[in-house]
Amino acid sequence: MSTIELEAVSRWYGNVVAVNGITMSIGPGVTGLLGPNGAGKSTLIALMSGFLSPSAGSVTLDGTALWRHTEAYRTIGLVPEREISFDYLTGRQFVLANAELHGLPDPGAAAQRALEIVDMVEPAARRIGTYSKGMRQRVKLASALVHDPSVLLLDEPFNGVDPRQRLHLMALLQRFGAEGRTVLFSSHILEEVEQVARQIEVVVSGRHAASGDFGEIRRLMTDRPVQYVVVSSDDRRLASALIGEPSVVAVALRPEIGGRRGVDVSVSDLGSFAVQLPRLARDCGVRLLELTPTDESLESVFAYLVGR
Amino acid sequence: MTVLNPTILRLSAQALLGRRRGLVLMLIPGLVLVLAVVVRALTEEGVGYDIVSEVGYTLALPIVALLAASAVLGPEIDDGSIVYLIAKPVPRHAVAVSKYVVAWLATVALGAFPLFLAGVVLDASEPGRAVAWGFASLVSGTAYTALFLGLAALTRHAVVIGLLYVLLWEGLLGALLTGIRWLAIGPWGLQVGSAISDAVDEPGTGLTYALLAALVVTAGSVWFAGDRLRSFTLRGDE
Amino acid sequence: MADPVPSGGGRGPVSGAIYDLGYRPYDGPRNGLGAIAWALFVEGFRNAFGLGRSGRSKVLPFLLLGINLLPVVIIVGVLVFIHLDELPLGYAAYASRTQVLLSIFVAAQAPVLFSRDLRHGTIALYLARPLPSTAYAVARWASLLAATLVFLLTPILALYLGAVLGELDFGEQTAAALKAALLAVLLATGLTGISGLIASVSVRRGFAVVATIAVLLLGNGVVTAVQGISEEQSRPRIGEVAGLFSPYSLYRGAMGALTDERVLTPPTGGGLQAAYFGVMVALALVSLGALLVRYRRLAGR
Repeated sequence: MSTIELEAVSRWYGNVVAVNGITMSIGPGVTGLLGPNGAGKSTLIALMSGFLSPSAGSVTLDGTALWRHTEAYRTIGLVPEREISFDYLTGRQFVLANAELHGLPDPGAAAQRALEIVDMVEPAARRIGTYSKGMRQRVKLASALVHDPSVLLLDEPFNGVDPRQRLHLMALLQRFGAEGRTVLFSSHILEEVEQVARQIEVVVSGRHAASGDFGEIRRLMTDRPVQYVVVSSDDRRLASALIGEPSVVAVALRPEIGGRRGVDVSVSDLGSFAVQLPRLARDCGVRLLELTPTDESLESVFAYLVGR
Repeated sequence: MTVLNPTILRLSAQALLGRRRGLVLMLIPGLVLVLAVVVRALTEEGVGYDIVSEVGYTLALPIVALLAASAVLGPEIDDGSIVYLIAKPVPRHAVAVSKYVVAWLATVALGAFPLFLAGVVLDASEPGRAVAWGFASLVSGTAYTALFLGLAALTRHAVVIGLLYVLLWEGLLGALLTGIRWLAIGPWGLQVGSAISDAVDEPGTGLTYALLAALVVTAGSVWFAGDRLRSFTLRGDE
Repeated sequence: MADPVPSGGGRGPVSGAIYDLGYRPYDGPRNGLGAIAWALFVEGFRNAFGLGRSGRSKVLPFLLLGINLLPVVIIVGVLVFIHLDELPLGYAAYASRTQVLLSIFVAAQAPVLFSRDLRHGTIALYLARPLPSTAYAVARWASLLAATLVFLLTPILALYLGAVLGELDFGEQTAAALKAALLAVLLATGLTGISGLIASVSVRRGFAVVATIAVLLLGNGVVTAVQGISEEQSRPRIGEVAGLFSPYSLYRGAMGALTDERVLTPPTGGGLQAAYFGVMVALALVSLGALLVRYRRLAGR
C-alpha cells in the first residue's frame, strides 16, 4: 500500500505555469486524473514519477521525495505517453530487459507473467516495429508491471487503443485497484474515467479544480441547476404543477417521440425537489413513470468546472 | 555490478550496431585501412603516413567517437524513450558508465585500433611509430567519446556541437592559435604518442598535463552524463 | 437565414435537422503548381537560416555565416590599411579555405529541409496537395541550393566590394570574382545534392549530419592524402585522377584549371580539365536525380 502526496506543488517553465499550487494525495485504488489537453496532466505524472522537479512544494512517495531518487522505481511502474522506440527489439526482449533492469531474481518468469497479464504472449516474439498502437500500449503496460509495483502511473493509457482492448485495459486497471495497488491514470476523455474510476482528480489550466468521488463532487455543486427528465402519465399537467415549486427553475415539454413525451426540469435545490416531487405527483393525480438525471455524467461535471 | 549494468550494455550495443549506423561506423575505418593498403602496395615503406596523422587521427577518429557516443545515447534522449531505461532502480551513473563503455569499445575497435593497423601497414619497419599513434588514438579516443557522451546527455544538438568542437575549435582555430593545445583533446593524445616515438610531433603540453587533462575530461564528462540522467526531465510531446 | 432543412422528408415531427449557416466551399481562383512550389521554396530557404523557426534554430546558421565572413573583414582591412595591390586570398580559394564551415552548414541544414518532414510524417501532408513529389523534392533542393549559395557568394561579393572600393584593377577583379562565382555554383549544386540525398535517407538528424560530414570531409581528406603522396612521388597523374572523387578536390582541381591559384596536382591536359567540370555537373545532376527517385518512391508508398 503506497501513497503519493503532493504538497502545494507548482511547476513553471519560464513564465508559463504548468502546475499551480496543487495539493493532492493518491492512495490505493484507481484514481482518474482528468483534464482537457494542456491542463498539466502529463506534468503532474512526470512530477509523480520523479521525472520532473517541482518548482515549489514537495512530491513524496510514502514520505520520500521522488526527484533524483532512483530507488523509488522499485515501487513505481510508469507507462509514459511516449512511444517505445526500441523497434529493433521483440516485445519479449523489451519486457525482459525491463525485468533485468529491475534486478529481479527470475526476469524470464517475470516477463512471461507480465506478458500474460496484458495478453501479449503470442505476439511477443515479433519485433516492436511491427506492432499496432494497441499492442505497443500493452507492451508498455507489461514493462511497467514486470516488477509487480504497488504504484502504477499511466499517462493517457487508452489513446489509440481499439474498443475491445480498451475494455480489457480498463478491466485490468480495475483489478489492480481492487488488489490494493495505487493506480493513477490520466485522460481527457470522460467516459473512460467514469468507467474505471470513482475517485477523480480534475485539473484545469494547471489548477486543482476538483477532487473526490465524482458523484460527490457533483452534489457539492449545489449552486448549479441540475437537469432531470420526468416521464409521467400526464406530462403537461405535471409541468404546470412543477413550475409552482420554488426549487424548480425551468420546465419544458419534450417533443413527442414514439408516443412518449416527458418533461425537462431544471432544479436549483436538489434536496427539496426530491422531497416535493412525489407529493406533487400524488396531489395532482399524475403517475410518475420515469425520473432520469440527464447530466449526472462526468461530462457535465467537467464542462462545469472548465467553464467556471 | 553496481558500476556496469549488463542489460544497458547489451541494449546499447544493439543500438550501436543494429542499424545503418553500425555500417557507417565500420565504413570509416575500412576506408582508412583500404587506403593504407593501396598506398603501401604502390609505394615504398614509410610513404603516406599522412593517412594516419591527417585523415585518421584528426578526422576519422573523432567522427567515429562522435557517432559511437551519440548512437548509444542520442536517439533515446532525442525521442524521450530513455525514460523506459531509467524508470528503474538502477543508479543513473551506472547507466552512463555502461553506455560509455560500449561507445568506448566501439571507438577503440573502430577508431584507435585501425589507426595502429594502418601505421603497421604503411611502415612495418618501424612498429614503434604505429604503436605511438595507436596510443595517441587510444588516449584521445577515450576522451572524445566521453566528451561527446556528455554533450549527448546535455543537448539535442550534441552532434552539431561536437562537430563544431572538432572541426572549428581543434581544426581551424587550433591550427591558428597554438595555445588551444592546452584545451584540445587531439594534442593531448599526440603528447602521449610523442612520448612513445619521436616520429609523432610533440605539441608541448608536457606528458603529465596531457594525461591528467584527458583523465579529467573523461571522468568529468561521464560523471556529468550520469548526473544529467539523474535529473532527466520528462517532457510532453511538443 | 437559418432555415432548417428537414432530414426526415417531412414525415411527422422533425427530430433532426441540418442548418444552412451560409458556409460554402471555396470555389474561387486557385494558384497553380508554380505558386505552390515557389511558396515551398521560399519557406525552405528561410528555414535553412532558421527564419520562421525558433530563436535557437537561428544560432547555428548565423554563427557559421558570421565566422565565414570574419576573414573577409580582416582581409579587406589589411588590403586597405597597408595598400596591397592584390587580395591576399583569392575569391575562389576562399571557399576552399573555409570548407569546414561550409560542410557543417550544409550538413546541419540539409536535415532541416529533408529529414524533418520524413521523421514527423508531415511529408504526407505536402504530397496530399496538388503537388507532385518531384516538385516537392526540387523545391526543397532549390531552397538548400539557394542557402548554400548565400553562404558561398556572400564572402565573394564582400571581397569584391572591398577590392573595387580599394581601387584594385576593376577588370581583373571582376573577371576573377565571376570565375569564383561560377565555381561556387558548381560546388554548391554538388554539396546540395549529396547532403540532401543523405538527409532524405536518414530520419535521424544527428546521423545525417555526421554521415554528410564523413562523406564530404573524410572523402576530401583521403583524396588530399593521395594527391600529396602522388606529388611527392612525382606521379601527379594519380593525384589528378583521384581528385575526381570528392566534391572539394573537384572544386580545387577546377579552380586550378580556371585560375592561377596553386593547388595540389591540378589537372593537366584539356581532357582531364574538361573531365573535372563534367564530373561536377554530373554529380549535381545524378544526386538531384537520385533525390527525385527517392521522393517518387516515398510518394508511391
